[in-house]
Amino acid sequence: MTEQEIIDITNKVFEESFEIEPERLIPEANIFVDLGLDSLDIVDLVVALQNSFGVKIRNEESIREIRTLQDLYQFISAIKSVKKA
Amino acid sequence: MTLRRVVITGIGVVSPFGNGVAELMKGVEEGRSGVRFMEGWDQYIGLQSLIAAPVEMQGEKNIPRQKRRSMGRLSIFAAQAADEALADAGIALANEDRWRIGCVVGSTMGSARSINETFEIMLPDHDLTRLNSTMFFHCMSHTAAINVAQYLELNGAIMSTSAACASALHALGTGYDMIRLGRQDVMLCGGAEELHPTVTASFDILYATSTKYNDNPQKAPRPFDRDRDGIVCGEGSGILVLEDYERAVRRNAKIYAEVTGFCTTSSGLHVSQSNKESMVTCIRRVLDEAGLTPDKIDYINAHATATLQGDQEEAEAIREVFGASVPVSCIKGNIGHTLGAAGTIELAAALKMMERGVIYPTLNLENVSQDCEGIQHVMQPVTKQIRSILKNGFAFGGINAALVCEKI
Repeated sequence: MTEQEIIDITNKVFEESFEIEPERLIPEANIFVDLGLDSLDIVDLVVALQNSFGVKIRNEESIREIRTLQDLYQFISAIKSVKKA
Repeated sequence: MTLRRVVITGIGVVSPFGNGVAELMKGVEEGRSGVRFMEGWDQYIGLQSLIAAPVEMQGEKNIPRQKRRSMGRLSIFAAQAADEALADAGIALANEDRWRIGCVVGSTMGSARSINETFEIMLPDHDLTRLNSTMFFHCMSHTAAINVAQYLELNGAIMSTSAACASALHALGTGYDMIRLGRQDVMLCGGAEELHPTVTASFDILYATSTKYNDNPQKAPRPFDRDRDGIVCGEGSGILVLEDYERAVRRNAKIYAEVTGFCTTSSGLHVSQSNKESMVTCIRRVLDEAGLTPDKIDYINAHATATLQGDQEEAEAIREVFGASVPVSCIKGNIGHTLGAAGTIELAAALKMMERGVIYPTLNLENVSQDCEGIQHVMQPVTKQIRSILKNGFAFGGINAALVCEKI
């Protein structure tokens, strides 16, 4: 899976599940402060990403470090490469 | 302690005829049916009744996402009905002491669709990891009540009355007592329900649903009719604003009617069968509480689900108390049986009939069944000054509920 595919699929989750306009989905956007997700939303984000990427991420420690969309793209990318390896 | 008087100052409805009381009344006045053949229901093996009265959901995106995410279908109906009821009452929550305003919203099943979806996701492999955070909130029994409360940001009492087809009347009775006792000043009361094949199935399995009109859906249900064959489920929500009378008068509110009596009894006999004796007791007691003799009731809005047994028992009960002296009608022929929402959607229609001085006929009542004779069925529109309404509701578990309201 390419980096761009990861970005596109992730952004699609934000657009569809959280009704966020595509123009707001910039890499520097803070998921909580800028995109307005709260603690319940984060649970749903994890489930939606698991379904979209076919990976388990719920119990990953590093998930707690994620703040921006860029952080999220990198996190998924790392998980996908571990899975491949 | 003096009990306070309680009045109805606002009405809100989402029904198979659309969003709003006006849409409901248009359908009733025009003698329309909201019953349809339900595509895809035949995939449920053994389901005999394939018709229902669905709501075409609209305007749900007007509810902000973070308030909407915990709402199953019925909660959206309830929130929209609550909005309309508050606007109708002329109450702007921003100007109110929200600790004095609460809600009681009941339902039979809660969010049947969400419950089914949750188990469909989880069950094949008992996999919990695919469930999102808000599914639980959709599936909780009190989902409609808490969603109305968090949507409106109420700080008062939130309660949920779970009494199947009597849920909405129970909600009204509970709100009535909360205000009478001075615990709250305004209560948004009612019920909500959503359609799902499994909800119809719960009646279908008991042979209580209509199965003979799948090819002619608008001919069912047929309350009190010779050719009735059972329940047709509907969906929606009805919310009434109950208010302390003194407060309503002080702010010059429009008052539909005063609630003067509420009673609920149970047959104590059977989980599904109706029972005339306990219905009669319920009706006599509610009249006593209201201080009215039977001849003082101007209109009875019946429960009349079109089951063979239920309609017969209710007709007998009405006949025993009132004879043929009071006009009786029911709008389930138009919108089906909206279960947990039925009490308030139907009372809303009755209040509008009171306002207009017209009783609309029971749709699909073409030939009165012999076992339902002896009461005054309304089969053509009747012009009548209505000063008092008796609303009946009967539910699984042998529950009877009745409410009286009067023009003041």
